Amino acid sequence: MTHVVRAELLRLVHRRSGLGLLAAATAFAAVVGLSIYAGATAAPAGPAGPAGRRSGASVASLSGTGGGTEAFVVGASFVGFFVFVTVIALMAADLSGGTFRTLAQREPRRVRLLAGKVAAVLAVAAGVVAATEALTFAASLVLAPLYGVPTAGWFSLASLGDAAVDAGTVLAGVAGWAVFATLVAVVFRSVPVALAAGFGWAGPFENIVSESWSPGYRWFPGQVLAAVIRGGNAELGFGRAAVTAAVYAAVAAAAALWVLCRRDVTA
Amino acid sequence: MRHDDPPSGDLALSVRDLSKRYRNRTAVDGLSLDLPAGVVAGFVGPNGAGKTTTMAMFLGLVRPTGGDGTVLGHPLDHPAGYLHRVGALIESPAFYPARSGRDNLRILAAIARIDPGRIPAVLDLVGLTDRAGDRFRQYSLGMKQRLGIAAALLGDPELLILDEPANGLDPEGVRDMRTLVAGLGQGGRTVLVSSHDLSELEQVCDWLVLIDRGRSLYQGPAAGLQGGTALGLRTRRPEEAARVRQALRCAGLAVSPFDRAAADPADADFTGLEVAVGDRHGDLADLAARVNQLAFDAGVVLTELAPRRRSLEDRYLDLVKTELVKTDLVKGDHR
Repeated sequence: MTHVVRAELLRLVHRRSGLGLLAAATAFAAVVGLSIYAGATAAPAGPAGPAGRRSGASVASLSGTGGGTEAFVVGASFVGFFVFVTVIALMAADLSGGTFRTLAQREPRRVRLLAGKVAAVLAVAAGVVAATEALTFAASLVLAPLYGVPTAGWFSLASLGDAAVDAGTVLAGVAGWAVFATLVAVVFRSVPVALAAGFGWAGPFENIVSESWSPGYRWFPGQVLAAVIRGGNAELGFGRAAVTAAVYAAVAAAAALWVLCRRDVTA
Repeated sequence: MRHDDPPSGDLALSVRDLSKRYRNRTAVDGLSLDLPAGVVAGFVGPNGAGKTTTMAMFLGLVRPTGGDGTVLGHPLDHPAGYLHRVGALIESPAFYPARSGRDNLRILAAIARIDPGRIPAVLDLVGLTDRAGDRFRQYSLGMKQRLGIAAALLGDPELLILDEPANGLDPEGVRDMRTLVAGLGQGGRTVLVSSHDLSELEQVCDWLVLIDRGRSLYQGPAAGLQGGTALGLRTRRPEEAARVRQALRCAGLAVSPFDRAAADPADADFTGLEVAVGDRHGDLADLAARVNQLAFDAGVVLTELAPRRRSLEDRYLDLVKTELVKTDLVKGDHR
């Protein structure tokens, strides 16, 4: 499978895409950093609300260990959705535009082909997550003094550990989003249809239904993945969120492979 | 007409009763095919004949509904066993539009575990060296087709499958593609190239497979399909030609109008007819006398009656027409 990963990395990693991702990560760090620090309350933050709607950071939480990457974690829910939409577009374009056909002639084992492509996307995502976390940390370092947040506690060993855990949970959530995106792309194939279906489900549908049906926060895939990325929330603890997400991802991966292997490649 | 006996020697490709059925349509209908190793074979049939579907089955992209076979000695249902020895361009060339031609070949070399050192050679072979750094989306149709062929040649394949490589090209592009395809068959490589236009292929192919509606009409050496001679006749007016046609048909002769392939009906010649010369018609002069008599009996004086050399394309169209008549007869029997 390594040859597929290598080929896909050759496709994904080049100067233009690198500059684009760097610009996006820089913009993310600036916008998220500003909004978190500008909205930070002096009092300690209360209990978190429903998934994805945490009330925000406090000066106390920002100045503690892990405070340097708190802005990254709070904003990372958007990273998951961004990955979801991007992977749908990449995979569906492959399947509808004929490039998957070109690749399948070179690697007819479709399980390897799809798994390799997803693995390459995750490798790139890992790099982007790490870079985004580093840039958000740098932005936080600039912003913290302006909003009276002490940064002495950010450079301890414990803070480094928190940063690694944050990156890991975000990456786990991103991996889940990527797998679901792959399933949506494989099922619908057409880019606009797959994007409409994925966007409609994970965006308005899950959130609107969860407003009136609270178990949705614990069971809808998008809400579960959001909880994983945030390290758990009031509705769903991290452990349960991680297990649920893993089961969902396994089912989604199996379904995507089943559909892909059964279908003729006609585009 | 059909070569029922498999050719002797090594076979690059051999399938039996290959079928592909979709819900309400049969794309390939019990196709049996043997392709000797080392030939440049034309795979010819009208649009919708099943050429692309057949090739897609050879490449493991489409799963056959029935039948089996081997490609380069490996079972058709195990494409991983042979695809590394096969190069293919099927349907339109599909590459990453934002990446250069060279980068696209690098990606394919990586996935196929092919030495990327071959990339300059294949780019040179298809004449794309100067534009290799341009993005794929900036290529003309001809350049895209050539990049597709370069990709197919990356692994120095034993079997090359090209699906309508000249499709959409201008006359100069068609000529260049024909020259390129002829060169690709040198050195013992087997080439299977499809087209709906026999004239594109007859100059470069030494083997022909003709199909229509998913069935084989002919397969064998291109020389075996050579046109032979027909008898051409002409009348003064189209209605006279119609009368003569009717009379000749009633007498059991195969007759067809000239210029069947005229693109514009206004260009069609409605006064000319062509009578096929079969084995049972004996001497050409006897046939001419008989035709002349039949025309006279129908009240028509011919203005021209002469032998006419038939092209490969005429024979191909006859085969397609014969198959259509057979199918119509079978349908009629079932009604």
